[in-house]
Amino acid sequence: MSEIVVTGLGVISAVGKNLAENRQALINGDCGITDLSMFPTRYAGLRPCGEIKTDTETLKQQLLAGEKGVTRTSLLALQAFDEAVADAGITPAQLAGSDTALIGASTVGGMCLTDELYHDANKKSDGSEYLAEYDCSSPSLYLQKRYQVGGVINSINTACSSSANAIMYGARLLKHGLCKRVIAGGTDSLAKFTINGFNALHILSPEKCTPFDKNRQGLNLGEGAAFLVLEKREDVGSRKIYAVLKGYGNSNDAFHPSSLSDDGIGPQLAMRQALLEAALAPEAVDFIVTHGTATENNDLVESIAMLQVFGKPPAFISTKAHIGHTLGAAGAMGAVAGILGLYHQEAYPAIHFQDPIEATGLIPLLHYKQQVLKHAMTNSFGFGGNCSSLIFSAL
Amino acid sequence: MYIHKTNCISAQQTFGNIDLQTLAPAVENKLFAKEPVYEGVPPGMLRRMGRAVRMGVGCALPLVKDQQPDGIIIGTANGGMEDCIKFLNQIMDYEEGMLTPGNFVQSTANATAAQLGLMTANRKYNITHVHKGLAFENAVLDAMMLLKENPGFNLLLEGLDEISTYNYNIDYLDGWYKEDLTANAGLYNVDSKGTMAGEGAAAFWVSDQPERALTKISAVQQLHTEDVAAVSSFLQHFVKFHLPEGTSIDILIAGENGDNRYRHYYEAAYDLFDTATIVRYKHMFGEFGTSAALALWLACQPAFPAHAIKQRTDADPKYTLIYNMYHKNQHGVMLVERL
Repeated sequence: MSEIVVTGLGVISAVGKNLAENRQALINGDCGITDLSMFPTRYAGLRPCGEIKTDTETLKQQLLAGEKGVTRTSLLALQAFDEAVADAGITPAQLAGSDTALIGASTVGGMCLTDELYHDANKKSDGSEYLAEYDCSSPSLYLQKRYQVGGVINSINTACSSSANAIMYGARLLKHGLCKRVIAGGTDSLAKFTINGFNALHILSPEKCTPFDKNRQGLNLGEGAAFLVLEKREDVGSRKIYAVLKGYGNSNDAFHPSSLSDDGIGPQLAMRQALLEAALAPEAVDFIVTHGTATENNDLVESIAMLQVFGKPPAFISTKAHIGHTLGAAGAMGAVAGILGLYHQEAYPAIHFQDPIEATGLIPLLHYKQQVLKHAMTNSFGFGGNCSSLIFSAL
Repeated sequence: MYIHKTNCISAQQTFGNIDLQTLAPAVENKLFAKEPVYEGVPPGMLRRMGRAVRMGVGCALPLVKDQQPDGIIIGTANGGMEDCIKFLNQIMDYEEGMLTPGNFVQSTANATAAQLGLMTANRKYNITHVHKGLAFENAVLDAMMLLKENPGFNLLLEGLDEISTYNYNIDYLDGWYKEDLTANAGLYNVDSKGTMAGEGAAAFWVSDQPERALTKISAVQQLHTEDVAAVSSFLQHFVKFHLPEGTSIDILIAGENGDNRYRHYYEAAYDLFDTATIVRYKHMFGEFGTSAALALWLACQPAFPAHAIKQRTDADPKYTLIYNMYHKNQHGVMLVERL
């Protein structure tokens, strides 16, 4: 059976508007968490976020996206999608073919437009231009329409693990011969909706977040988008391959709507399933890009789960200290970081870590290293107990 | 993929003692679901659930209470949106002051799948597809792939959506619903734009085992287009590719919804399958993103009510084609075989 390989990557986040900038930021240990400066909320200055410092109008111009009703969430998706498609050398004719699939993910959709949504939903207006854009399928539908993508189109929302599941679904479509290439990933933009929601759960940190640190105070929200192009190895020809998608796993923690079980059964099961699918022993994994949101609950549980599965976990980091928690895009963001490390044979350092969690004593990788990396795992655990794990391997 | 058990909550009597003969009327152009008394859900839990989650959980629970599924696969177009907007209203009304997170936590589209996993302590594959008018078709495809990957698995597959006040307002402003009061019994005869809103849930216990199955889903596919010629070609090719040699479509279940602007897609389907019995369902269940789930439930029933039959032929009902179009560019088809 032909391997599933990554032939294109596209990403935009608070630390860079493209793949090269994001890689450099990971090498440097740049932090994109700042006070909100472009976003109207009473929490600007109180809750730092991974904000992309380009306003929506400018994004529209840069991306030549003058379509009526296009939202910031869709624009971020467009940026990452365009980069990934160009990176993989996919032509417009191929995009429009019935053998090209597009699997997107978003938890915010067009709900970033709080005022418009409020007025439209409460019928306090004649209807804004965004009426069809509020739900989570709107970024995928926007991309499909703009490029006339001709194959299976889907959108997934499993909260924070959405884009990891999108990548998994895309890979399976390829394995079943239901497409020849798939662009899979996710997007989310900052929204009053998520800022207030996470704040009401008391898990937003008033400081820059510190994943896996014993004094962590919660997460920082972020915005961004990331897409992978996946194909079967036999279809790639002479084009470049970043990595192999070796295994994946999806399981449910079945414990609580918004927190993980003490032993992290769901996370453990997802990781074990990915290892099984990849036919790898835990020791074979060289690097983990964790979910690592810096909440009290997640980082402790994720640490316990990693200890259970790996005994002695490999080098690991969370990129949420760099770009924040990008929700629907988080799974794909983690995947990009893992893939870049494998492709360039380098391990990126964690940032903002000082002291380990006492119960587990785990310390993330603290210094950039160029080294042999064969297999990298990336994990995403979402509200509703949705746990997903992906394993990529170097060629 | 074989369907072994089904359950359905809708505006009609599709739950418990199923009676489709009597057509329950729409109220102010909305076909609200008749919710049954939900068994097996603690009242405290029911109270905390938004309506979409309640219907989704209530519809699926009877199918999973005796046996754990090896996966929970849900499709919903706007499940959770009601809670999203309730939370949003709080944000606006209280100017981002101290808010309670209940609505926020319930507002994720995966809340139904999560609740089902939680209530049955099910740690298996759990996913929610939200691709609007093709959310259910993607869920079906996911289930079919999962069964090929894992022979012998049993899966819970479900489609659900609710008429949330807010979504109704948004879709109404976008011109999707009738402006004048319309009787659902005459939905296809009124020559005007728009349709009527519906809601419901249809759940299926599926596996790759044919013994004692009700129906077989042979294939599912989707197409994004506004071009009617492309739709016609798509339907022809789908049927030609998946029907066994020497057979034809005996029943066409069509998602015609009374919106005169988009009738041409369905008319193309009627032309292609003019020797089939043609059944319509949106006068019964209304229009919503995952209505194809209820069409699939209907395809599993032993007979169709007279009011749903557009034309009847004597064809021995073996092969059913379900064709649905949502919001003018999302087209989904399923080929279903009676056993």
